[in-house]
Amino acid sequence: MSSYRYGRPALKHSVDVQLQTAFSDGNWNTVIRLAAKRAATLKDPYYEAIKMCAEAQLDGTAEKCAALVAIDELVKNKKTPDIDTIELYEWACRDFFDYEVEYADTLGPLRARWAKANPGSPLAVQCVQACLEKWDLVSAQQIATSLDKAYANTADRRYMFWNITLTYLLSISPQCTDASRKVYSLLAVRHLERAADLTENSAKLEATDRGLLTEEEVCLYYRVMHNHGTKEEYVSRLKSPKLGAISQLKEGRKVLFCEALDALETWGEWDLIYNLCREALTLGLEGGTSPFFVCDLQTWRKFVSAASKVADSESALGEVQAILKRYIDIKDTASAMYKKNLSLALLETTFRLPATVLNDSSENSGLLPRVVQIGLFLDQYFERLSAFDDVKGYVAELNFEEIKALMEDVLPKMLDEDANKGRKTVLNALVCRLRYLLSTCPQTLSPQPAAAEGEAQSKPFQCLFCSQPTDLPCEPCLKKLVVDASAAYTQITSDKELVDSIPRLDKDPRLDLALVMGNSLLKLSGLRPRTADASQSLWQSVEPGLFLQAVLLLDTQLNETPGDTELRLLLVQLYLLLGCASYAYRLWTPLDVKRTIQDSLSPLFFDRISTVSPGLFQGGRPLMEPLRTFYKNNLTDKAPVRIWDAFSAGSYTSILDMINHDSSLRRSCTLMMTLVEERRAIRCYGGKIDCEIEQHPLTENIEDGTTLVSKTDYGPFPNLESLHGPPIHEYLRLGPGLSNERSQLAFLSEQYLDLLLYKPPKDYKPAKQAEAALRDREYTLETLSRLSNSLTDFLHQPSTPSRLTPSETSYYSTISLLSAALLIALSTPRADPLPKTLSLLTTSIKSALTTLRTTFPSPTTPPSTNPTPIHSTTPPSLTSLPILSTIRTTALAIRHSAAFVLAAHDRELARDRSGRSGVHRDALAEMRALDAVAGKVLGEVRGWVLRLKEVLGEGGWLDWGLGVVFPEEEGDSVEGGNGEGVVGLGEVGRAVEEVVAGRAGAEEWVGKVVESWREGVKGWGMVKME
Amino acid sequence: MANFRRFRPDDLNKLSKCNLDPFTETYELGFYLQYYAKWPSLFQVAEDQHGNIIGYIMGKLESSPEIYQFSEHYLPWHAHITAVTVAPEARRLGIGKLLTEQLEVAADANDAWFVDLFVRVSNHKAITFYKNMGYSVFRVVKDYYGEHSTDPNLSSEDAYDMRKPMKRDVKRQHVRDDGEKHEVDPSDVW
Repeated sequence: MSSYRYGRPALKHSVDVQLQTAFSDGNWNTVIRLAAKRAATLKDPYYEAIKMCAEAQLDGTAEKCAALVAIDELVKNKKTPDIDTIELYEWACRDFFDYEVEYADTLGPLRARWAKANPGSPLAVQCVQACLEKWDLVSAQQIATSLDKAYANTADRRYMFWNITLTYLLSISPQCTDASRKVYSLLAVRHLERAADLTENSAKLEATDRGLLTEEEVCLYYRVMHNHGTKEEYVSRLKSPKLGAISQLKEGRKVLFCEALDALETWGEWDLIYNLCREALTLGLEGGTSPFFVCDLQTWRKFVSAASKVADSESALGEVQAILKRYIDIKDTASAMYKKNLSLALLETTFRLPATVLNDSSENSGLLPRVVQIGLFLDQYFERLSAFDDVKGYVAELNFEEIKALMEDVLPKMLDEDANKGRKTVLNALVCRLRYLLSTCPQTLSPQPAAAEGEAQSKPFQCLFCSQPTDLPCEPCLKKLVVDASAAYTQITSDKELVDSIPRLDKDPRLDLALVMGNSLLKLSGLRPRTADASQSLWQSVEPGLFLQAVLLLDTQLNETPGDTELRLLLVQLYLLLGCASYAYRLWTPLDVKRTIQDSLSPLFFDRISTVSPGLFQGGRPLMEPLRTFYKNNLTDKAPVRIWDAFSAGSYTSILDMINHDSSLRRSCTLMMTLVEERRAIRCYGGKIDCEIEQHPLTENIEDGTTLVSKTDYGPFPNLESLHGPPIHEYLRLGPGLSNERSQLAFLSEQYLDLLLYKPPKDYKPAKQAEAALRDREYTLETLSRLSNSLTDFLHQPSTPSRLTPSETSYYSTISLLSAALLIALSTPRADPLPKTLSLLTTSIKSALTTLRTTFPSPTTPPSTNPTPIHSTTPPSLTSLPILSTIRTTALAIRHSAAFVLAAHDRELARDRSGRSGVHRDALAEMRALDAVAGKVLGEVRGWVLRLKEVLGEGGWLDWGLGVVFPEEEGDSVEGGNGEGVVGLGEVGRAVEEVVAGRAGAEEWVGKVVESWREGVKGWGMVKME
Repeated sequence: MANFRRFRPDDLNKLSKCNLDPFTETYELGFYLQYYAKWPSLFQVAEDQHGNIIGYIMGKLESSPEIYQFSEHYLPWHAHITAVTVAPEARRLGIGKLLTEQLEVAADANDAWFVDLFVRVSNHKAITFYKNMGYSVFRVVKDYYGEHSTDPNLSSEDAYDMRKPMKRDVKRQHVRDDGEKHEVDPSDVW
């Protein structure tokens, strides 16, 4: 049974040896001859099936389809063949099911009929499996219903729950109509309600009873209730004595408790959350569960949060404190993890207490209670790798008075009191990280009046730490931080005892200090999130020297700590920003992002990679192959991976989660990125694209209405920022992250290019040319109309502008305009007046291209009178390669569009000599004009690439680079303020020099950067401009 | 800092803190999902306050195929630890121990005789960890690993098959004191 999945099915034992041998040897002609004979003699339809199965192995289309026709007949005539015949047919048609033939219309119903007639046969279970593996839920549910009836009140409970689960799946499946979904949802709920009632009302439930027994069954009930029931029903059942969350906890089952808290939170049911957490935590104290069973941080956070939101929050928070105290009393029996959770719960409680309660409790001590708690926590945990992450949210909530107390009293006191040199350095590094964090908190600044003493103030704030006028972040504080961190760094490196102690620490403190310095330098350089309005080249929008100092310093640190993935990822992003893709790739490769984690992590390197460095795609193994393979392996089948395993094991919540995960993966923005980036790179080098993107098996279910999802994992970034500002990864990306809007626009644009670049097979010679031409024309106009509407819709969505870089907006807008222009050009009869819209559209296209072209800082030769060395004119271009790429692709799209219209006209002329059916004369003129403009721009792009190559080939780069990183003339002058005690840029540079082993280290690094630029431009040199 | 809960497939998008560590293997999607599908209660995770997975354990429940029932190497119904990992930032907090204990609870709930696992004989840290948790060496599987973790001149490495008896094994009949002396071939391990 089901051997079709593994190979040729075995024939029935009753079949004679001669036919058996021919079948197993694959002698199909012999099989056909013998089977026909046996069918005639024995009048057994099974032999007909063998014959058709053998015919399907031959090359002829009619023979291949004979089995399909036979299946169709059986389905229509409501006949039920035997299971061996079904097996034969399934094997014969195995190649059809992925594409042309729906299992649910063919073999699914046959299997369902057979199983209904033979529910007691073990083969009926395999029929469910076969249907599920082809994702035919309707047939699978029918079989499960038959099995459930046949095995009701037996110990095998799976059939009942397969029936319920499949009924529920149908209630949310596109395989059913709205009306059917409603019926299925009622059915699923009714089944489960009945089972739940039986459980509640039975003194002891047996395996043969139709109640809810296992954790999976109970959780399935709540999941279905959450989706299809009312909140009141859900809540009422949650409190029930047997199936409630607390009673489940008593049985050692925690899943429902966690899921219930999430559900209640989405409903804002704080009273219920409060009560549930209180009961659960009390249960642990009273021996109802193992003591720390629910002592997760999430429980405490929800408990505290709910307590602060209920009506009598003061007494509720008092209760929280009382329970927490009881846990703290027994914490010596807890593992380190739970001890830490309790410490964090204490912090959380302190921070959520109303100010009045908090102040009352601190009146006697005179200390600031929130600072005291942070101090106590750090006293215990500052050496831990996660200490900063644990407290940063709380520190960022402190007011300035508290911040001052923490930074000027508590932490220095801790530093003074610790005699251990190693621990002191760790604490010092943590202090530096906290200083950086505070530089991102607005409460460290006070607003300044716009004018003081009749003079306009250049800065909007005054820093409460250094009293300097400033923006956010405070630059003087950041400069001082770089200098202090550098001093701490060199203090470690110059002390052998300290260096030797590093392997015994949780984390190398030099790494923390380097990250603080690197982040501070990036901020000082003026780096801002690369959002939709970041139209300037990186080089023009930052102070290059400080930016390069940051990268150099972090790169130097990576040599010391090559195993640190956070730092490595940070550098990968920075090098991509710098236009050093080949170097970024060398850093990316050791991260070994492969298999399952590719969907969430690959965008960190591959998003927009074809626009930075198409040359990377020219090499041995195709760059995107691992990603492509990942999606192919896991999405080729319609059924979610391993779904039968979950059915078979009775893991009902796993089934639901696996289906959700599968749905997300099929709608993955990373998947779309994979296809689009590769296609763009292939076109760069004139390669052949295997299939149109819309025909690609991986985009089968993606339509305009599909929401593509980004699951990019930014977790591994070292984020020192507070929640008051954007996270660090937003500063480092080439533009806004992956999104539904960008992915859909990319998908539509690729479809547009597919239409333009389609070439019929050479041997395609339609018999009726006129008819074929008409059909082609209709298809073209329909496609253009669809694409134009969809592109316009997506571009006009309010969220879209913030999801694209300015150059991407130009590109997709141009494609949208082009599709509309082509629709008019190709649909307007020659004799009619040409709508003025076409001219407006082509003007907009030209204007978009011209504007786009001006955003690229071209590497023009400076006039001889200009003292700027040629080197300085190049980096702005090198850090704007995505813009260069977009100019090229936009210009090419315009040229392809014009060529498409002109070719359509030529074809019509060749077919119809009268010329009446050709493209409108004025439209042709518009297209020619567009082509000329685009051609000129492409010529410019070619010139820029050549110029970049030329300039990078010249000497003097090391001196130039060194001059940018460490400018010799840099003084320590300070803008504004009294300047006393304020660090200048020269001092910052010297501090960086100390860490990076001086100018020699920097020179070597500049060489690597320039070499990577050269490699990138070399790749660009081979890119086709036609 | 941590929550302990059952694995969910969406966690696969949050594995970076664990799986970018070179000592943690990243498997095919089907491998993770197979465990989640068949033995969800033996696939537990620890997550941090931002939802990042900072530790996980994957285990299964099985016995040797029936055809080996009379073989001396036949394994009765037991739980097996396939993978356990903790992110570098979450180490030294006992997360690995807690995850292992949770798996043992699930093993007991499923009436397993014992929990077993394989570990490289050179991985002293892990061996000590498991010994402290009550595991002992049951047998040595010769040349179980295709390469040696510390000596590039060696083309293979032995594994310890370590076991801890569960509540069902009242008489401790599935563990032995001198496991280091019992050597088997990889072909004896199913």
